Amino acid sequence: MGTARFPIPQGTLDMLILKVLSLEPAHGYGIAQRVQQISREAVQLNQGSLYPALHRLEQKRWLKSEWRESETGREAKFYSLTRAGARQLAVEKETWDRLTTAVQLIFNEGQ
Amino acid sequence: MWKLLNLLPGRRQRMERELERELRYHIDRRVDDLVRSGVSETDARRQVAIEFGGALQVREDVQDAWVWRWLSNGQRDLQYAGRLLRRNPTFAATALLSIALGIAASTAVFSLIDQVLFRRLPVREPEALVYFNWKGSTMQSGYGYDYLSSYPLCRELQEQRHVFDGVICRYPNTVSFSSGQQPQQVRAEVVSGSYFNVLGIQPRLGRLIDGSDDVSPGGHPVVVIGETYWRNNLAGDPTVIGRRVLVSGYPMTVIGIAPAGFIGMDPLQAASLWMPATMAVQAGNVDAYWNQLMNRRAAWLHVFGRLKPGVTLEAAKAGLEPWFRSMLANEPSTEGFPKVTSDQLQRFFSSTFDLQFVPTGLSSGRRQFQRPLWVIMAGSVILLLLASLNVAGLLLARGAARSREFTTRMGIGASRGRIAGQLLVESALIALAGSVLGVMAAPAVSRVILFFLPQTGDVAVRIDVKILTFAFMASSITALVCGLAPALQTRRTPLVASLTDRSRVAAAGGVRLRKMLVAGQLAFTLVLLIGSGLFVQTLARLQGNLGFDSDRLVTVSVDPASNGYAEPDGERVMRQVLQRLQAIPGVERAAVANSSMLTGGMASSMVTIESDRRFTADRAAARMRVGPGFFPTIGAQVIAGRDFDERDVRPAGEKPRAYQSVIVSESFMRRYFKDQNPIGAHIGMGNRPDTKTTIEIIGVVKDFSRRTLRDEQVETIFLQYFDSQSADGTFYVRIRGNAESAFSAIRSAVAQVDPQVPVTLGVFDDQIERSLRTERMLASLSSAFGTLALLLAVIGLYGVMAFVVTQRTQEIGLRMALGASRSAAVWLILRDAAAMIAGGTLIALPAAWALRRFVESELFGVSVLHAPTIAVAAAVLALAGFSAALRPAWRAATVNPTDALRM
Repeated sequence: MGTARFPIPQGTLDMLILKVLSLEPAHGYGIAQRVQQISREAVQLNQGSLYPALHRLEQKRWLKSEWRESETGREAKFYSLTRAGARQLAVEKETWDRLTTAVQLIFNEGQ
Repeated sequence: MWKLLNLLPGRRQRMERELERELRYHIDRRVDDLVRSGVSETDARRQVAIEFGGALQVREDVQDAWVWRWLSNGQRDLQYAGRLLRRNPTFAATALLSIALGIAASTAVFSLIDQVLFRRLPVREPEALVYFNWKGSTMQSGYGYDYLSSYPLCRELQEQRHVFDGVICRYPNTVSFSSGQQPQQVRAEVVSGSYFNVLGIQPRLGRLIDGSDDVSPGGHPVVVIGETYWRNNLAGDPTVIGRRVLVSGYPMTVIGIAPAGFIGMDPLQAASLWMPATMAVQAGNVDAYWNQLMNRRAAWLHVFGRLKPGVTLEAAKAGLEPWFRSMLANEPSTEGFPKVTSDQLQRFFSSTFDLQFVPTGLSSGRRQFQRPLWVIMAGSVILLLLASLNVAGLLLARGAARSREFTTRMGIGASRGRIAGQLLVESALIALAGSVLGVMAAPAVSRVILFFLPQTGDVAVRIDVKILTFAFMASSITALVCGLAPALQTRRTPLVASLTDRSRVAAAGGVRLRKMLVAGQLAFTLVLLIGSGLFVQTLARLQGNLGFDSDRLVTVSVDPASNGYAEPDGERVMRQVLQRLQAIPGVERAAVANSSMLTGGMASSMVTIESDRRFTADRAAARMRVGPGFFPTIGAQVIAGRDFDERDVRPAGEKPRAYQSVIVSESFMRRYFKDQNPIGAHIGMGNRPDTKTTIEIIGVVKDFSRRTLRDEQVETIFLQYFDSQSADGTFYVRIRGNAESAFSAIRSAVAQVDPQVPVTLGVFDDQIERSLRTERMLASLSSAFGTLALLLAVIGLYGVMAFVVTQRTQEIGLRMALGASRSAAVWLILRDAAAMIAGGTLIALPAAWALRRFVESELFGVSVLHAPTIAVAAAVLALAGFSAALRPAWRAATVNPTDALRM
């Protein structure tokens, strides 16, 4: 709960994180980079809101984490998806699809 | 819940360190990337800080995700709730007091129940103690409660070492004890030599009774004194060890002091004195018939065993079986076994035994003590629930007033759960504060309850962990009940509607819920009112059940034996005292009887009756011994035949003889003689074929209360006091004028016979009062509960009605503008009140029926479904309810349509 200061609704951020991590484990900075890459810079991720989200998802046991050597040689905290996280991603994707379809239908109505 | 693990200090520090590293890594990487793309490091750092949106905020948000938000919200809610309560002192006081009251009452009662029922004896491993119970036809004579054993039987059980780690026996009684001053009545236990050792009790001082005191009958004149008695009555003097004291007039030596807290095997009747069983005769405790120590037929001891480690109850029973069978087989050839028919012998052989665990000891008073407690418990739980509903209603009312606050907060992002949580915190605060008050008041409340109980024994008020746990659970449930309704209410509020509609629509649902709560309160109130009505009736009926005239009746108990008189001399004292009493000018009449009335106990016997045929009574008849003039003295009516007179009295100096004449009660006549005249028929004491029927019935007396006021005409036989040995008893004296002058005349009359003989004087009306204490307590407590409940419910009803009127002012104005009359407006409001009262009544009646098991045993002369009581209670409730609704209704009637519509 709490308040989201970010224009992207909270649930969406969670979904994006889960999606990125479903490809491969990554650290926080990597996730932020990846989101921007994949969305071709269209999504500007508020870096600050990323970490509370990560910790919240970890508390929910959708993510697990470990300290590993990163590509720069420094230790970084890498997050990866748990099985529960994978299931959650599927659920969120489906909900998202239904929502976008519905919204699409509404907008197509007048045309 | 596992989130709470994150609160552990070590874990939390580690998590904070890791978060720091994690964030540092991110920032450094971002700065590196920016620098690589050509930004200066200073600018890069500034840009990262902006992107990050406040590093401190991020940290807090992450910590929130761990757990902190959860808790710090609670803290903030608590502060907020505290502020709100301080700002509404009336609300706070009402709520706190109602909860405190309910908690105090139920905690007090629970602590008493806990002590009476569940507290373990303060001895070594009380859970291994079992009580031996020989069931069936035992061919023994005894007096007392539960199964009693003979001393030889107890000795035999001590030999069953394959089952028991020791066997003890004890007999509870009251003796007169004197250590140089005025003799005092003291509760004592006569115990086997194994007693203290098997219970694992160590002396506070000196030594305790042991096997060496259990050898020869009459040969061990030693006593152990209880720690409390020693401290309070003997000034804790250590030199008391070795001192000579008088127990029932017999010299004995103090050998030790029992440890503090040890009060014997009956938790409700603390013993202050212990003597060896070998001294039972000298301690003069039991009737002459039973105190023959080695008599196998005299049953007077409770027997307890300590099971060997690892021996189960079943194994113990199986292990005792061989001994039990051979004991039964040998018994008929032992001395004193009665001559019986083969049928009776068969029944004797088929008797069985049982063992039962007694970790809480054995108590005759337990059942009698606990029943009224359960009634009060039920009452106070109802009161507590009612108080919770009341607080719930108050919270709802405030919730309605605050609905705009809530919707606004929801509008800016607070979740419903968050607001519901806050409401729960508020109600929890009220419940908790109320409970603290309640627990503090609990000892006082239980002292009040104890004062009214029949056998207070030595139950003290203790607040321990168990009691606090109970209070905490009760207050948690209270908090939940209080907070749930308002919390649920927030879930239903349609956000937009309530924001736009100036809270009127939003509150509508709240009103329905509040009406339901009020109906619930009214229901509980009605249950309590019905209960108090029933108890008041019970009290009144019992007071009318005496059957004789207690006015100016005084009892004088004299016990020559405690001043060392042997029986023939004791009897001489009794006869002289009677003559002196009758000679006092201020005495109208005086007579003697063997026992005090209305003290709860009375001997009973099986009897054989011989009129035109011979038959045995089908149940035991109560028995009392009275002298000539007893019935006219107390004002009981002899309705046939004659009273005892001087002709029946055995001349002074002659030996006691078999009973010659008897007066029976009216109920005895009805049961066994129907329409026949019983005068001249004979009865015999006992129901054996060879029982001699030599006692002639010379009169019939109208039934009156003897044991307790609750006596439902028990068949009673009144034997002639002076036929048997007559060395103790109670004189009943009808005085003229006031009690004080009569008392001094009576005292000097007794002193003229012997100034040393202890005398106990009593006003009979006090005796009646004492025997009615429990009933009086139930009547007054339930009335108090009922009144409080009524008050709370009426406040609730008034609150909701006032709110309804405010809410519907516009509607009422509109109706009036359209031509509705004022009475229609009043009816509109009263209809609501009527619906709540009717609803409450409909819930209450089945509830009262369901609770009947709690109260039935405490009622007398009325049933739970006593229609007039219910009708009166319902009428009181309706009257109070409508008067509470009257003011709001009046306000509705005086609504000015123009003003109302302009609102």
